[in-house]
Amino acid sequence: MASRIVTFDLGGREVEVMVRPMTTLQSVLRNQLGFTATKDGCRQGGCGSCTVLVNGQPMLSCLLPVEDVAGQRVTTLESITPAEGLHPIQQAFLDAHASQCGYCTPGMVMVSKALLDHDPAPTDDAIRHALTGNICRCTGYRPIVTAVHSAAEAVHDAADAMRGSAGERAR
Amino acid sequence: MTVRTYLLPRSRPEALGLLDEHGPELLVMAGGTVAMPLINEGISLPEAVMGLRLAGLGGLERAGDELRIGATATLTQLLDQDAVPMLREAARNTASWSIRNMGTVGGNLFTPPPGGDVAVALLALDARVTLASTRGERVLPLADFLTGFMSTELAADELLVEISVPIPGEPTAYLKLGRKHASTPSVVTVAARLEWRGGRVTDARIALGAVGPHPIRAREAEQLLVGTRLDADAIAAAAVAAAQGCEPFTDGIATDWYRRRMAGLFVGRALEQLTPGAAGEGR
Ligand SMILES: Cc1cc2nc3c(=O)[nH]c(=O)nc-3n(C[C@H](O)[C@H](O)[C@H](O)COP(=O)(O)OP(=O)(O)OC[C@H]3O[C@@H](n4cnc5c(N)ncnc54)[C@H](O)[C@@H]3O)c2cc1C
Ligand code: FES
Ligand code: FES
Repeated sequence: MASRIVTFDLGGREVEVMVRPMTTLQSVLRNQLGFTATKDGCRQGGCGSCTVLVNGQPMLSCLLPVEDVAGQRVTTLESITPAEGLHPIQQAFLDAHASQCGYCTPGMVMVSKALLDHDPAPTDDAIRHALTGNICRCTGYRPIVTAVHSAAEAVHDAADAMRGSAGERAR
Repeated sequence: MTVRTYLLPRSRPEALGLLDEHGPELLVMAGGTVAMPLINEGISLPEAVMGLRLAGLGGLERAGDELRIGATATLTQLLDQDAVPMLREAARNTASWSIRNMGTVGGNLFTPPPGGDVAVALLALDARVTLASTRGERVLPLADFLTGFMSTELAADELLVEISVPIPGEPTAYLKLGRKHASTPSVVTVAARLEWRGGRVTDARIALGAVGPHPIRAREAEQLLVGTRLDADAIAAAAVAAAQGCEPFTDGIATDWYRRRMAGLFVGRALEQLTPGAAGEGR
């Protein structure tokens, strides 16, 4: 059973791991690299708790052999969490009580991140459609949808504020 | 996990060569959304697996009056095309965003019921599949490719490489019933397409999912429609024939009784969408 060296970009940093054939990205992240924000709910593709972004697109790390992402860009919750404070999506989840036990939260936040990158002002339907693969057993989902809306507004307001202050200065 | 060898060919000839060399023991995997859960769970215990993600079998392009879909084109790519609205609708109704980013159109043809929601649409569209091996290529209708529960015409040394779809000129209908609104296994899936001349139906395709060992055509219902003006009586007769002719099963999602009832109801609804003058269906 020949082990292999696989290199990929994890949140802007190149990482190199030695793996047995077909080791999943989930296992590499959690067990080899200690990146445990990516959860391990079902290993069946059924819960979404292991969602990461590959080249900006949500994928399930439990179904993805790490060899398949060699040379690609992988983003996990750790990658988007600032050194201090929280990402606006994380802050919105906190404020809206969209995280209770928290097990689904990393997956929910990663899909929300991909959604807002595609669509800065998503409708209720678009949010629900994007998050259908992510199961939450605690919140009843409504607070999560609310959080994504307020995260969208927070990002929008931040952009407005920047434009506004630039306008002030021009005047 | 029992896998000792994981092969990731970078081209179609390399993939076909490896398949030839390793023989039927080699498990082929495209997006992995069906194969990986079975491996993770220890239900499938392959020693050698070949992943197709980098083999250059993807892509999707319109060529004249055909849509040519690479076997490993993702379900997301199918959702993003606009040449064939029925296929967009089928992709939208299949799984969730992450799974659509990974799962392939080709893989959907191998997915056992109640899966195969894209295959149902492809069947109604008279899609053809191209199978390739080191011996050469052959093309056959999807209807002949699907032969039974988890069985197809694919030979041990062959790969599915392409699916081609004649772009339909007439409106089509696609309906999926699940137990929830999205990311849900099918109770029944219906895809229908009619051709018309002089206000009468000249040809009909009705494909059904989750009510047979694989996606099936409702051939008797199709025949009953030809020559009619698709009035209420014709629709009712076709719905009854489709319900009687299917072979539903019971699983954790629905009973065979419920699936048969819903097959009739949803064939009726799909045909109503296709009646001349129905909302949104200009003819
Ligand atoms: C949570 C979840 C929800 C889902 N929901 C749906 C749904 O709503 N509707 C639905 O239809 N499906 C659903 N699926 C099933 C699956 O995601 C889709 O059917 C998908 O299209 C399968 O494609 P794949 O490439 O991932 O298959 P894979 O797992 O890669 O392939 C399965 C098998 O097919 C064969 N195969 C695949 N491609 C080729 C090829 N090119 N040549 C030769 N053999 C090949 C191989 O034997 C392979 O082992 C769901 C799956 C999950 C995990
Ligand atoms: S752990 Fe990957 S989807 Fe549940
Ligand atoms: S917060 Fe507990 S599963 Fe979602």
